[in-house]
Amino acid sequence: MECKILGDCIISVDNVVKTYPGGVRALRGVSLEVRRQEVVVVIGPSGSGKSTLLRCLNGLEEIDSGSIVIDDITLDHHKKNRLAIRKEVGMVFQSFNLFPHMTVQENINLAQRQVRRKSKAEAVRTTMNLLNKVGIADKVDAYPGQLSGGQQQRVAIARALAMEPNVMLFDEATSALDPEMIGEVLEVMKNLAKEGTTMVVVTHEMGFAREVADRVIFMEDGGIVEEGPVGHFFNTPQEDRTRLFLSKIL
Amino acid sequence: MLDVAKYLLLVGFLTWLMWRGSEQLGYNWQWYRVPRYLFTFQDGHLTGGPLWSGLLVTFKITGVSLLLSFAFGLLAALFRLSESFMARLVARGYVELIRNTPLLIQLFFIYFVLAPVLGLERFSSAVLALSLFEGAYASEIIRAGIVSVHKGQWEAAYSLGLSGLDTYRFVILPQAFRRVLPPLTGQAVSLVKDSALVSTIAIYDLTMNGQSIVAETFLTFEIWFTVAAVYLAVTLSLSLAVAAMERRMKIEF
Repeated sequence: MECKILGDCIISVDNVVKTYPGGVRALRGVSLEVRRQEVVVVIGPSGSGKSTLLRCLNGLEEIDSGSIVIDDITLDHHKKNRLAIRKEVGMVFQSFNLFPHMTVQENINLAQRQVRRKSKAEAVRTTMNLLNKVGIADKVDAYPGQLSGGQQQRVAIARALAMEPNVMLFDEATSALDPEMIGEVLEVMKNLAKEGTTMVVVTHEMGFAREVADRVIFMEDGGIVEEGPVGHFFNTPQEDRTRLFLSKIL
Repeated sequence: MLDVAKYLLLVGFLTWLMWRGSEQLGYNWQWYRVPRYLFTFQDGHLTGGPLWSGLLVTFKITGVSLLLSFAFGLLAALFRLSESFMARLVARGYVELIRNTPLLIQLFFIYFVLAPVLGLERFSSAVLALSLFEGAYASEIIRAGIVSVHKGQWEAAYSLGLSGLDTYRFVILPQAFRRVLPPLTGQAVSLVKDSALVSTIAIYDLTMNGQSIVAETFLTFEIWFTVAAVYLAVTLSLSLAVAAMERRMKIEF
């Protein structure tokens, strides 16, 4: 798939409109392209549609019009395509959403076994590797309720990575964490970015955006107001609304 | 300490009330004649009496009905929550029809109308009627349990690429069942007691056998109290067993 922008395009969103039942326009014609290995950070005030955009990217929300193509699979009403996209797209939620009745190991094994059809030994090997990577291999047999928020979120990241996704989506992954735990999760995310994982990150952590992002997108009222390379975006924003938003949070 | 005294006072008062009541009844209590209907001791062997064999029939009926009503309940709950309009309609119709008509009439209907057509025996008719009845209630309980599981659990499972069926099986139902275990137990206790109704289609369960002993011996109160005590023992052990299970399966949040 060719991008309009230079490089190998993995996500292509074209003129997507999403209205919630009740008439709230969450997305009004959003277009966006993401290249392989790119880290895109989406910022904006609450209610600007950034989470909705992310949730549309793996079919958690159905779109009204427009198109979403990820890794040459079109996200449409076909169940098969939606499942195929979800296998390729990992998602990390604000509220972790670990399965509380399963141990850490079972949480991470589940999709490997049921979706990827891996053998138990193979799944366990992958799980241990990932837990080492996110630094909590000692918690393999713990239940989510026994872990701190930061540890839970790192398990959730490992769980998503276990599917070996081509794209990782982060929906305010650090917003529900106590301040002292934000760092450990951001650290894991930074390492992923360095390894060349394609990431779309909705966050309020501007430090993270500056350090890791290739491109920053600013959304407001369900539309993209401005986007640009990270240095450019923070130093010389073009739009008044962007400047106003940045002046409030920086 | 004071609480214990109050409690003893209350129990004492109730006992006195019952004793006075039975005195005024002018009833000739003959408790010593009851044990032989539970067990008899012959040639060094303990043999079950008619109440015992009735209890076994009750066990058999409630045991099978319990499994079946659970299956009906789960299926109806999943139908109610499915995307298909037809499935929702079927489940809704089933639950409303069963919950809003008396069990006794359902039992008669199945035994006298359906059973000859479907070729069901007495026992199967009773089991079918009971499990359809309890299944309707169970389905509402299970549905409530499923709905109470946080939306994020569905989303997490979906985002991992799990199918709808796998999501139910591994993520949603295990959590839902832990939550609805107490009300489901209540339903199971109801099932044990409702099974007494099968005596109306001449199945020799605990109640039916009690009834025939009363007819033969006129030990009305002694036998019925004994029968009630046996039901109590069964339902209490059931509740205790489930409570133990609940403690074992508890999850921390």
